[in-house]
Amino acid sequence: MDTNSLIQKLASNSKPTRPLSNPWARTAIWLAISVPYVLFVVLIISPREDILEKLGNSRFLIEQFAALATGITAAVAAFASTIPGYNRKYLLLPALPLSAWLGTLGVGCLLDFSHYGVHGTPFHADWFCIPGIVIVGAIPGFAIALMLKRGAPLTPTLSTAFAGLAAAGIGDFGLRLFHPEDTGLVVLIWQFGTVFILSLLAGWVGRYVLSWRLRITAEKRQLAAQ
Amino acid sequence: MTTSVQDQNNRFSAMMKAAQAGDGHAYSRLLSEITPRIRRIIQRKRAFQNVQDIEDLVQDVLLSLHSVRATYDPQRPFFPWLLAIVRNRLADGARRYARGSRNEILVDELPVTFADESANIEKILYRDPDQLKQAIEQLPRGQREAIKMLKLKEMTLKEASSQTGTSISSLKVSVHRGIAALRRSLGSKE
Repeated sequence: MDTNSLIQKLASNSKPTRPLSNPWARTAIWLAISVPYVLFVVLIISPREDILEKLGNSRFLIEQFAALATGITAAVAAFASTIPGYNRKYLLLPALPLSAWLGTLGVGCLLDFSHYGVHGTPFHADWFCIPGIVIVGAIPGFAIALMLKRGAPLTPTLSTAFAGLAAAGIGDFGLRLFHPEDTGLVVLIWQFGTVFILSLLAGWVGRYVLSWRLRITAEKRQLAAQ
Repeated sequence: MTTSVQDQNNRFSAMMKAAQAGDGHAYSRLLSEITPRIRRIIQRKRAFQNVQDIEDLVQDVLLSLHSVRATYDPQRPFFPWLLAIVRNRLADGARRYARGSRNEILVDELPVTFADESANIEKILYRDPDQLKQAIEQLPRGQREAIKMLKLKEMTLKEASSQTGTSISSLKVSVHRGIAALRRSLGSKE
């Protein structure tokens, strides 16, 4: 097909399309879907017994705030990465809360070390963190993946890695509301580690989920059906 | 941004907004006006590629743009949006081109005609053209003429038949027997 015929076909195939909202507005929509689900899961599994006490603990609150902020800013970065011409500086947005989160967890570990000593610091395998974060992050992850598919697959790996970080970040936020595990090293390795690995896995599937090839094939199929 | 570029930007932005609302005419005008620009950018960046490859890339960009037209925010300038898509598709195209080139092996002559070795036996055995020529000359006249016309001059059966006055089926038999005789004589001399 020559280019002029393609233009005519595309123009005649042009149906009304609602422009995507900006990344902040889309993040708000994503949170409106995700937060009720996270609270629902927390209520179903039942919140930890010391939740009221924890809500007065500044270390817990800072860690939770950092996890939530990481999730939210990662979602903004994921949505911004699918808008052509959008300021690429938005991709750096999660760096600050992520560093703060990692920093607070690191400080938590150091406090535990100073309290118990290097050899006496409690540490154990906490396998529950993995399915816990996956369950809480499932719907947020699914929702953000669907929303990203409406955007442009400019940087598929990065977009889905941010999406994974957003879902796993909010997943960890929810997990800690019902899973009574606050030991610095356990939280750092098992919870933050799970978030990190889930983000990497999400990035790895990026090129299979978001790709120009899929988009163009779908368009060509529509044009052929005309 | 100079005034004329800004005007153009506003015009394209308005056309894209109309296209998003389903106005096919505005969309057609927009695509027709931006296509030469897209082509120029691609020609500049991909000067080493042939015309057809460049046109493929232009169409690729148009299809990409069409597939993500919902990502254009009419409140934002049009050109940065368009250029981001062009750059991204060019980078993708360059990766595809590099992958394709890596898998291509340029050779002057293929070493075998078929992967199956038995299919290449004749080529391996009959390496000496003089020997083959002599062997053909020693064939009976009918077989010799059939081999020369059908195998060396590459005439069709119909042409050879009308030239010699022999039937097509006789020619087929002569060629078959001639080749069998050549194989025997050349094979025995190896």
